[in-house]
Amino acid sequence: MLADCYSRDTPLLPAMHQPALLSSLAARRDMASDMLLRGTGLDALALSEGRAAVSPAQLLAMLANLAKQDGQRDVAFELGQQWLPGHYGTISLALLQAPNLAEALSLLITHQDQLCPLLGPRLQVEGGELLLYWTDSVGVAALMPFLVELHMTAVSALCRWLADEPLPWRYCFNRTPPRNLAQHQVHLGSHLQFGCQLDAMVLDSQWLHQPWPRSNPAAYAMLKQQLLRQGRPQYSLVQVLYDRLHAQIGNPPTLEEAATLLATSPATLKRHLAKHGTHFQALLDLVRTHESLRLMQYHGYGQEELAQYFGFHDARNFRRSFKRWTGMAASLPFSLAGAPW
Amino acid sequence: MLHLYRVPLLVFGLALLGLLLLYQGLGELKPRADWQWMDVVGEGGTALMATIWLLQILSSRPRGRVTALLGLGLAGVALGGMADCLDEFFRLQAGANWDNWLESALGPLGMLTLTVGLYFWRQEQFSLNEQLLKRERLFRDHRVFDRITQLANAEYLQQQVALERAARPQAPCSVILLDIDRFHAINRAYGHGEGDRLLQAISHLLLLNLGNDDLLCRYAGDRFAILLPGTDHATAGRIASHLRSVVGQLAWHTRQQGIRLHLGARVVSAVMAGDVVTQLAALNAELEPAMPLQAQAS
Repeated sequence: MLADCYSRDTPLLPAMHQPALLSSLAARRDMASDMLLRGTGLDALALSEGRAAVSPAQLLAMLANLAKQDGQRDVAFELGQQWLPGHYGTISLALLQAPNLAEALSLLITHQDQLCPLLGPRLQVEGGELLLYWTDSVGVAALMPFLVELHMTAVSALCRWLADEPLPWRYCFNRTPPRNLAQHQVHLGSHLQFGCQLDAMVLDSQWLHQPWPRSNPAAYAMLKQQLLRQGRPQYSLVQVLYDRLHAQIGNPPTLEEAATLLATSPATLKRHLAKHGTHFQALLDLVRTHESLRLMQYHGYGQEELAQYFGFHDARNFRRSFKRWTGMAASLPFSLAGAPW
Repeated sequence: MLHLYRVPLLVFGLALLGLLLLYQGLGELKPRADWQWMDVVGEGGTALMATIWLLQILSSRPRGRVTALLGLGLAGVALGGMADCLDEFFRLQAGANWDNWLESALGPLGMLTLTVGLYFWRQEQFSLNEQLLKRERLFRDHRVFDRITQLANAEYLQQQVALERAARPQAPCSVILLDIDRFHAINRAYGHGEGDRLLQAISHLLLLNLGNDDLLCRYAGDRFAILLPGTDHATAGRIASHLRSVVGQLAWHTRQQGIRLHLGARVVSAVMAGDVVTQLAALNAELEPAMPLQAQAS
């Protein structure tokens, strides 16, 4: 239902959650609070007293202000180190007590409205590997590479802390390599690949159920109960529609059908999507891209089979469409054998 | 820093005003047709520029002898220019030559003071260079310096390796990477402010243990890089393990709780040959824990 979704402008985040984290980081960097809040319309006093609630768009503007002042290009990584489990109430306590990676990732995905409202994490476990990839929830535009660095660092640092050892993640970035790799190397590790078709972290799936030493199972069970009592988590419209399209990707709904599914009109759906920097066809193309990458990577699909799967006339048609979706030829997103790592 | 100079700036403003009143009181306004615009622009421009330089100097420097001399000198030049310029607007009584005295005293005296100031500024710069020696090695670019440790970053390191190898292609040039053990756990347990203080302390500690030709950089996060010109692999290895033991012996106490932390570091070193970026990437990979077997196989 559209009414259940959060949008860019929903005042989702209490001031003492992510906004407080940003404020203290800005203060440590000698950045004035009016500089941090420029263009957000937020009141510094109300924020510091914890009275204001902040929308994803305002959080995004604060992050953009931080990024602008970041001569060393390390602010995304430094923020990432502190982003999770964070101090966001029950959800942070629950993350802290998570018994293993599988539970932690499930909390992260279920409660993305509290933990990562700007980028949605998606988990895929196949062929002995887990793949955690990130998609835009609210129209983050040019800030995408910055947010990807932040979120990947956040998950990596959380796991390293709770598992009491660094996990051997491999990283794929949907961007060209940055001018300098030092921050990536130190905060993420050396298994980096750029120019991929999605922003993903890959790990051997044996790590999913390795027990984490810090967890207290009884406390974790109680905290999960408490989360249930807090009510249903919200998701962004873009993520909800992604899920709908993904569930029926062989025979996807049209814009009109999708609007009916979301209990709204096609015009309203269109307007909402435009507000979040996307449109129906772009989202459908994105889901099809991710699905073709999965089928190629883990099920050995060739272009003929993919064309058939998505209902194209022939492989040539599919190739052309894929090029249009991603700007790249259809190829494996990250090679398994003979990989650079 | 301009607020440090409120009184001197007020005096300077009053002097400008006094000059104007003096000319107005003792002279009579020339008819507009007699104004020499070229002179007005030239002399007034000197006064204006000197005032801008004065503000730039004062806003960027702490108090002290050098600042006082530079400030006084520029103020003198500005006031001299102002007197020169006012001369164009006011006719003074015949026989009065105080204005000539004013013009020819203020300007040259100001320039003399400025010159003395620049001489001492040069000496001050030499001593600052000495302090910065292990941080910047003969090439200044303020944009590459990290705010917390005041050390240069990885990009600067790469430039310096390239410069060093171009200057002395025969001599070996080594790089050490030093990574603090479990630094993230210190940040989590004691806060990032404490982490910042520790990074500052370790950067001072490392600087004290380096030679004059060496360069210390903050590679990224809690990883430091040390460039050792003219150093072979064996020597670099010895220096690396010395630096590691120095970090291990630091008795660091947290500020809030006063808890003694036991520190450790991992070090790797290599002689730079071939592509700097690739070699630094390989060195960084060496610092990571070995991949478990299963992951390596896939």
